[in-house]
Amino acid sequence: MAATNSPSLTAETRTVSVWNGRISLRVQVKGSGDPIVYLHPGGGLTWDPFLDGLAADHTIYAPELPGTSDGDTDAIHHIDDLFDLVLVYEEAVRALGLEGAIVVGQSFGGMLAAELAACFPALFSRVVLLDPAGLWLPEHHYSLDAVMAGPPEGIPGVLFHDPTGPAAAALFAPPADPMAAVDGAVRLVWAIGCCAKFLWPIPERGLHKRLHRVSAPTLVVWGENDRLIPVVYAHEFGRRIAASRVVTVPNCGHVPQVEQCDITTTAVRDFLAL
Amino acid sequence: MKVEYLQQFTYRDLPDDFSTRFVESVVTNPYAELVDPERMRAAFRDGLDELMHAARAGFDAVAVTEHGAANYDMSPNPDLTAAAVAYATEAEGIDVAIHVIGRTLGKTREPLRVAEEYAVLDNISGGRLQAGFPVGLAYDANYNYGVAPVETRARYAENLELILRAWTAREPFPWNGRYSQYPGVNIWPRPYQTPHPPISVTSIGTPTTADFALERDLGFNLVAFSGDPVATAKPAYDYFWNKAAELGLDDNPYRATYAQFVVVADTDAEAERLYARHVEYSFANGIGHIPLYRLAMPGGIPPAGLKHLMTSGAALGPTGPPTYRGLVESGAVVAGSPETVRERLAHLARLFRVGNLSVFLQLGSTPRDLTLASIDRFASGVLPHLRPIFAEYDDENRWWPVRLGGKPPSPRQAGTLEGAN
Repeated sequence: MAATNSPSLTAETRTVSVWNGRISLRVQVKGSGDPIVYLHPGGGLTWDPFLDGLAADHTIYAPELPGTSDGDTDAIHHIDDLFDLVLVYEEAVRALGLEGAIVVGQSFGGMLAAELAACFPALFSRVVLLDPAGLWLPEHHYSLDAVMAGPPEGIPGVLFHDPTGPAAAALFAPPADPMAAVDGAVRLVWAIGCCAKFLWPIPERGLHKRLHRVSAPTLVVWGENDRLIPVVYAHEFGRRIAASRVVTVPNCGHVPQVEQCDITTTAVRDFLAL
Repeated sequence: MKVEYLQQFTYRDLPDDFSTRFVESVVTNPYAELVDPERMRAAFRDGLDELMHAARAGFDAVAVTEHGAANYDMSPNPDLTAAAVAYATEAEGIDVAIHVIGRTLGKTREPLRVAEEYAVLDNISGGRLQAGFPVGLAYDANYNYGVAPVETRARYAENLELILRAWTAREPFPWNGRYSQYPGVNIWPRPYQTPHPPISVTSIGTPTTADFALERDLGFNLVAFSGDPVATAKPAYDYFWNKAAELGLDDNPYRATYAQFVVVADTDAEAERLYARHVEYSFANGIGHIPLYRLAMPGGIPPAGLKHLMTSGAALGPTGPPTYRGLVESGAVVAGSPETVRERLAHLARLFRVGNLSVFLQLGSTPRDLTLASIDRFASGVLPHLRPIFAEYDDENRWWPVRLGGKPPSPRQAGTLEGAN
């Protein structure tokens, strides 16, 4: 799950000082064109063909959640709660001169994108949410147990519609070098732990009270077979955000950008072309 | 040496096929399906009887622990059972220490209540409380109580600072913590012991807790869950004593406590005949039936420690159904005649350099009468042989209540207040 570079494109790493100098936020930048801020999911930042495809005609700015950057793992302790986190990211977006950019967020990153767009409605011009966390309804309750409190072998089954398919295999294939595999596993587990600070035990911090403030045009994409956060939430997000459209993806679990890359790319490009 | 009897409140009547029908002894067990209310009630009556029996039999201390949603220790708040024993022993005039190994401070959202309850216990017992402060296991702190694992350590540290200050401050003070805020802290009562009861912290083997205990001169409890203690606990004690030397601290063995599962019968063969199935019950259905993912959740262990765990090849989970002989041969359980048991425990105490031994004598389904018999045999045939070990340090035990012959805690324990806000 380590960040890797596609052969055709190389990510450049920039560092932004935020939170009054307490955090050096690392941002990976790739591509050229109109800027997209990409907010990674709970497993940390991974470059995948979906992002590389967008990078062909956009510049993607992908911040690493403080704590998930190599060599700076204690940074998570400088952020106490979601309020701090939203302000840290808002500072970073402004410091990078990215006001008015498009934001794309997956799962945990989708929750963060929605929170930013709700707290700062003018910060982004468009919002793309891919199976975002952030809402939780008693009648459609779901849990993070498979990721946070279960055997590791259970994770592909909850993230993918077809956990034995090529997309899942590509995401979970360990590196051949055993030490690299350990480093990758440590990085993944710690990234989940850092993100869980804002998700555990219930991935809801009041977003339902704020979503009405999102004014930017918003696309919600959801895997119809999402076993982590059920697809019913796609329509909850759609209902609560005025300028939104919802696309559900068949034969797809929690990570549409990986499991159904082509369909997801088309949906996102159609939305961005509007 | 000081030897304490450690009680867990175990549900002793699980069905025979429990371990194959249910994946764990914690968190998910269906209460209504598994529990007969009469047997639950009996588990508490029997456990309290056993604690009192150990106190009367002459153990130096009796101890209880905290675990929520666990079939092997139904003790969501050990202060409750400790209170019963504190009063009963006071009324009977038994000079036994009451060691609450601890309210888990990574878990609690009411740290002031912990300070208050311990203070009440210290007053009920007339200054016999030993106050333990473990962090809390992941399944309890982070799952049962929903604390984000990455916050557990910071909560622990803040909660401990608050408790120490609440115990020792002469004047009311405001507390503006990250995890709790109070406009004016002024608890009634304060502890009976001054400046505070002896304090211990509990580790499952990571260096962090050992460093913390030494830096603050706190007692250090180690619980090694499985396997051969020479393999699992020895490295942790080696680290502890090397670190003490590195910091220029004394090597007083009363700094350290080791916990061990023990059964005692008249002969080794008799121990197996009487206790084998109960010991196997404990490991198959209880403390040995906890999946690794309940003990380590993402965020709870920092990256360096995680890498160490993944590369040290530490096999934490049991590999196959536990057998009495396997458990005894591995050293996980010390069992046999008084001679066998005392030789082994004396060897471990010297090997680890621990002045305090904490023994579990009620394992799994062991019924009350068999537990009382094991307690009696231990008290008569083992305890007197262990007491003389490290006797040369008996006059310098600052991790022991003064009323029972200890010395007051070092100023460095109370000195933790200097760091408070």
